[in-house]
Amino acid sequence: MFSNQIAVILGESVGRGFSFPPINTILRWKDVVPGINKVVIIAILSALIGTMLFLVASLKDGRKAPKGSRNLAEIIVEFVEKNIIMETMGKSGMGWTPFLLTMFVFIYLCNLPGIIPFIQMPATARMGIPAFMALLVWVVFNATGIKHQGLFGYFKNVLFPPGVPKALYILVTPIELISTLVVRPFSLAVRLFANMLAGHLLLVIFALLTQSLIQAETQRFFLVPIGILPFALLIFLTGFEILVAFLQAYIFTVLTAVYIGGATHPEH
Amino acid sequence: MRVHVTTLQGGLVQVRVAAETAEGGTEASAAETTGPNPIAPESKELIWGAGSFLVFLVIMRVFLFPRIKKGMDARYNGIREDFESADSTRSAAKSDVSKYEAEIATVRSEAAARVDKARQTLDQERSSKIAEANARIATKRAAAEAELEAARNAVRDQVAAAVASVTEHTTQLAVGKSPDASVVQKAVQQVMQTGARS
Amino acid sequence: MEALTRIAHASIRVAAELTPAEAKANAAAQMAGLAYGLAAIGPGIGIGMIFGKAIEAMARQPESAGMVRTTMFLGVAFTEALALIGFVAFILLKFA
Repeated sequence: MFSNQIAVILGESVGRGFSFPPINTILRWKDVVPGINKVVIIAILSALIGTMLFLVASLKDGRKAPKGSRNLAEIIVEFVEKNIIMETMGKSGMGWTPFLLTMFVFIYLCNLPGIIPFIQMPATARMGIPAFMALLVWVVFNATGIKHQGLFGYFKNVLFPPGVPKALYILVTPIELISTLVVRPFSLAVRLFANMLAGHLLLVIFALLTQSLIQAETQRFFLVPIGILPFALLIFLTGFEILVAFLQAYIFTVLTAVYIGGATHPEH
Repeated sequence: MRVHVTTLQGGLVQVRVAAETAEGGTEASAAETTGPNPIAPESKELIWGAGSFLVFLVIMRVFLFPRIKKGMDARYNGIREDFESADSTRSAAKSDVSKYEAEIATVRSEAAARVDKARQTLDQERSSKIAEANARIATKRAAAEAELEAARNAVRDQVAAAVASVTEHTTQLAVGKSPDASVVQKAVQQVMQTGARS
Repeated sequence: MEALTRIAHASIRVAAELTPAEAKANAAAQMAGLAYGLAAIGPGIGIGMIFGKAIEAMARQPESAGMVRTTMFLGVAFTEALALIGFVAFILLKFA
């Protein structure tokens, strides 16, 4: 709209040059089959690939030295146990390994299509999956807290954290109520979603810039070589997105572990 | 009907006419608001994502994870047992080595004692033999000295007799009578003693 | 300079012929950029400080590097959330 009008007034015809498409054409995918679009397919494939990996791994003999898929699966399991659970919950949190492991693998596999050529759509760049995961985490850590400390004890620990002067409870209690029950799931969902969406938009912008420079109609001798620059940045950002995909899955899982650990063992 | 009148660059007047229907109000920004908010979760994505995650979670929790964990635990326990057996073997080997070393030490001390004893007996033998030899040498020397003394005495007696006879003879020649033998002998002895002394 | 004045004239002319909805969309787009720019200042400084301190701590006590790294990522996650809320505000202002 706005940019097109500027283009018209500056004496350029619409459609030439660089123009960012409406965001819904980037993010909203048409249904392949009614009720199933690309994001849905990616989510289902993530679950399927994760299941296949661990299925193939579990069918091998665990007593021999691991290799191939078994090795990969055990590396992931050990990563979750050592770097996520032991660092946040300690040894008593080992029972949560399957939940956190599944969560980590699923989110990572949903993030990863953002950088796979010709797919290039992270399923977590749509709000659906992050919102569900955050809601699930919210339910799980509250249920854990109620189960371990009782309904009254849990909410007493959440709303009236021990070690705070009594007069400060006027200030602390509303903050704790909002931060635990509202901000936690909200920030958990928004963090994952916004990181992946921002990465996706960055890749889209640089891909479009490269395309429009290389397909320039005027001053080709000058504009086409310049097109290498955004392309190089596109490659670099794709590598960066691999890191972000991993990091966001890790952070989501670590925060889940921290919330569950905090609900299991209240601060004294 | 709704009419927009905009003044552009002084005199130019632009007139826009828009149909004032129900959809008319949103027509201007139709392209950017097609479909819902880009941030709002889409129900089909939410439901399918939730379903696939929950199925994945149940499969992992019930079937796959226990199998993998069992294999890992079995292997780790095997490795730990191996470590433990290696530790016990190592300690056994260490005790063997210490026993062996103790044996070596006792043998060595025994050998040292034996060597000391041998050295002592050897020393004793040597000193006794040396003493024996010394005694033999001393007796031999004493015998030789006694022989020498006897020979010297015999020679001295002969010399004394010869001197006495010479003295008697010369006295007889000078005085004409032979002197008393005991006096001569006494004198000779006195002279010889002074001569031997000087 | 001339290009700037040209763009300024153009935007004045654009503003002059805009319908109210379009004017609102324009203001929203400008505000969106401003909102995200402002939202990114604080978290930028904060994440820099977190990483710097974490590196200091790891250099001083390499044996506690694992714990420091986990805590560092937690801190980064909380700080980064502010910038991401700014980004979401950007998307909401610009496209919704």
